[in-house]
Parts: sequence; C-alpha cells; structure tokens
Amino acid sequence: MNPLIFTTILMTVLLGTMIVMMSSHWLMIWIGFEMNLLAIIPILMKKYNPRTMEASTKYFLTQATASMLLMMAIIINLMHSGQWTITKVFNPTASIIMTSALAMKLGLTPFHFWVPEVTQGISLTSGLILLTWQKLAPMSILYQISPSINLNILLTMAVLSILVGGWGGLNQTQLRKIMAYSSIAHMGWMTAVLVYNPTLTMLNMLIYIMMTLTMFMLFIHSSSTTTLSLSHTWNKTPLTTTLILITLLSMGGLPPLSGFMPKWMIIQELTKNNSIILPTLMAIMALLNLYFYMRLTYSTSLTMFPSTNNMKMKWQFETKRITLLPPLIVMSSLLLPLTPMLSILD
Amino acid sequence: MMTYIVFILSVIFVVSFVGFSSKPSPIYGGLVLIVSGGVGCGIIMNFGGSFLGLMVFLIYLGGMLVVFGYTTAMATEQYPEVWVSNTTVMGVFLLGLLMEVMLVLYVLKSEEVGVVFKFSGVGDWAIYDTGDSGVFSEEIMGVAALYSYGAWVVIVTGWSLFVGVLVILEVTRGD
Repeated sequence: MNPLIFTTILMTVLLGTMIVMMSSHWLMIWIGFEMNLLAIIPILMKKYNPRTMEASTKYFLTQATASMLLMMAIIINLMHSGQWTITKVFNPTASIIMTSALAMKLGLTPFHFWVPEVTQGISLTSGLILLTWQKLAPMSILYQISPSINLNILLTMAVLSILVGGWGGLNQTQLRKIMAYSSIAHMGWMTAVLVYNPTLTMLNMLIYIMMTLTMFMLFIHSSSTTTLSLSHTWNKTPLTTTLILITLLSMGGLPPLSGFMPKWMIIQELTKNNSIILPTLMAIMALLNLYFYMRLTYSTSLTMFPSTNNMKMKWQFETKRITLLPPLIVMSSLLLPLTPMLSILD
Repeated sequence: MMTYIVFILSVIFVVSFVGFSSKPSPIYGGLVLIVSGGVGCGIIMNFGGSFLGLMVFLIYLGGMLVVFGYTTAMATEQYPEVWVSNTTVMGVFLLGLLMEVMLVLYVLKSEEVGVVFKFSGVGDWAIYDTGDSGVFSEEIMGVAALYSYGAWVVIVTGWSLFVGVLVILEVTRGD
C-alpha cells in the first residue's frame, strides 16, 4: 500500500478510537466507532488474497450490526431522557441493547464467533491491532456506562466467554486462533468485574494488552503462525523460547508473573462483594486457558518437538528487529511486585 | 387524512426500505431509494424542516443517487433481478410487507402501542401546531449551529467521508 495512504488510514484508526474515548455526545461516539471500523478494513486486507477479504467482510458485517444496535440504544435513550450526554443510560431496554452491542464489538459470548475466524484470516500485525487496539473503544464505553448495566446479562456473558475462550482454544494449533480464544477469555474476565470495580477492568485491559503485544511480537519475530512453526524457534533464536515460556505462563495467570495481578485483584473484588461461586468457577475455567498455553510452551521451550531432519533448519529472511520487545517482555512478566501501587488508583 | 400524513408517509418509507432490503438488482434498489428519499423528505418537511428536506432532494437524490445510478448502469447484468423473478426475493419482500401491514393494523386498532417504547396509537404521529418558537425557524438555526458551535462535528464527519473514499479506493484497487 502507498505509505502515505497507509499512514493516513492508520492515523484514522487511532483518531476513531480517540473520538470514542473522549466524546460526551452519543452521536460522536457512534461516529468514532464507524470511523474506526471503516479505516481498519484496508489494514485487515493488507495482503490481497480471498482469505483476508473474507475475514475483513466478516469483521465489517459484525461490527456494523453492533453499531446499528448501538445507534438504536442511543435513540431509545434519547427518547426516554431527552438528552445526549453519556452520564448514564436511563432506560433498562436501552442499557441491555447497548451492552449487547458493545459485547458484539468486543467479542464476548454469544457474539464471539467472528473472533477466531477474523484473526485467523489476517496477517499477524493486523491481528495484533485487531486484538489490542480495537478493544479499547468499546471497553471505554462500557466503563462509562457501568453504573447502569444490567448485572445478570453482563455476568452471564462474562462467564460464558471465559468458558468458551478456554474450551474453544483447546483444539487449536494455529497461533492466531489461540490468541483469539485467549482474547475472548480475557474479555470475559474484564467484563466480570466491570460492575463491581471498573478500575480493575482497566487494569486488566492494560496488562492484557501488554501481554498480547508481547506474544504477537514474539510470533512476528519468529514468523510463525502454527504451533509446529513455533516449535522451531529453538533453532532460530534460542532466547525467544524462554521468553515465550515466560510470557505464555504470565498470560495463563501464574503467580510470580504479572498476569496474576489482574486475576488476583478481580477474584478479591468479587469475593468482597459476597459472590464466591462465581470467582471459583472463573478461576477453574481459567485453567483451560492455562492448559493450552502450557501445551505451547511444552512444544516450544521445554521439548524438541518431533519433526523431520530437514525441517529443523528454519528458513528466514533477515531477522526483524522489534525495538519494543525487551521492555514489553519485562513489563508483561515482572510487574507483580508493583501491586501495592494500585492504591494510588483510588 | 392530512392529520395522519406523517403516518402514511412513514408506512411508505418502511415499505420502500423493505423493497430494497429484499435485494433485487441494484437498479431497482436505486428506484425504491428514490421513493424512500422523496417520502423521507416529506416526513421532514411535515416537522417544519423545509431546508433539510430540500437538502435530501438536492444532495442525496440529485447528487449521490445519480452517481450511484450511473455506476450501477455501467455494471449491470443482462437480466437484472426484479422482486418477482426470484422466489427468495419475493418471499422476503412479502414477509416484510406482511410485518408492516400487521404493525399498521396494530397501531390503528389499539389505543396504546408498547413495542419497545409506548406511543398512543396514531395520535402520536399527527403534528399539532404547539408552541410558537418565535420569529426564527428551528432547523435553520440548527444548521447554523452546526457550523458555529458544532465545528468539531463538521471536521469529524468531513474526515470520515474523506477516509471512506480513501478506504473504498484502497480496497477495490487490489494489489
């Protein structure tokens, strides 16, 4: 793509999300979502093959439907309250429709079906933008309307998302689909605590973005999109096998690593609000996630995956230099001791 | 009949939307878009917005739809699909018509209709001349406000349209 056009379109994606996050008028938020959607379509279609076109079409259809639902909820809210500001949603029907629309944009169950298919059909860098940046705008709106969200619907969607994200990722060998199911599960964790303490949602979002960025950049660095291809990184850059191990275990939420921090805080917040069965279920279902992360680490870092001898030399172009990778790796694994600093968020 | 003109126009509006949503060939979709644009203009004018109605006719129908019509005429096929040519299209069109007819009967018969929001029968659709807004017309003031207080809206929508064109060109350009 022409670099000037590509820069313009990428900046429009950023502008769209910024407009969503900083507007106080519902119409501007809707315009921001549409601008975001429109501008990310050519980014998803960077390579012109039918696979990417199909993935972009699926993404466009689901997100456009979600925007339509959002507009309907906005208009119902306008009818019942007579004003366009985002303080709270005044009508339960509008709140439910808006929650469903934002859940469709995020990829929460039962609207999760597009996430693996779209993520699989596009390149790794586009998938990175899709799974991290595109989650910011809907989550910011959910944060802003969190006092008026129907608890039952949101918690049902959250718990089902964690289940589907864990269960659905079990049979996958394609790395992009694994990341997609991981995204569904993490979105479930984030929305579960939204009504109780929205700050933790933002914390989880931050740490999830860091970990997903790290994982995708490690995949981009070793140009691998399947488990088999990832298992040959010991040959190309032995150091990244250890880094993949650490980052994957952090994503699974294991204690001395930063991925444990949001899960710990969320479970603590839920139990403070007298719900005990829910966080127990969530923690148990997170084990499903941990299982397929560990399977990846097993095949990548802990064992030499069986392959024929002539596959052991991995063909590569010159090594991509990703400058952001070391600080990201450090942040996505070593942040846990900083947990007491969360008290400044009050 | 004139008191219920908005209701009648809204029914024609919905029926023409059903007409193009049942996906005949784009030429016929453009035809019902013209009808729906005209009827929508009528609805807006009944609420006092004569300027905006004129905008719809001039810019939407006379600008955008004309360009759409020309491009569709260039890309059309030998036997375009009408509503009655394909069973699926006709089925969807009839289904949409049926739902609209049932809704109209429901609104006409009952005192109060509460689907997602309540409105009291056909009475809500009639425009009564309530309140005097003074010497100026509200919608012209609205348009003026768009270009003064709402400059940010103009910038954002202008940029969205520009990027829309960029994106469409980029997507159809291919490799």
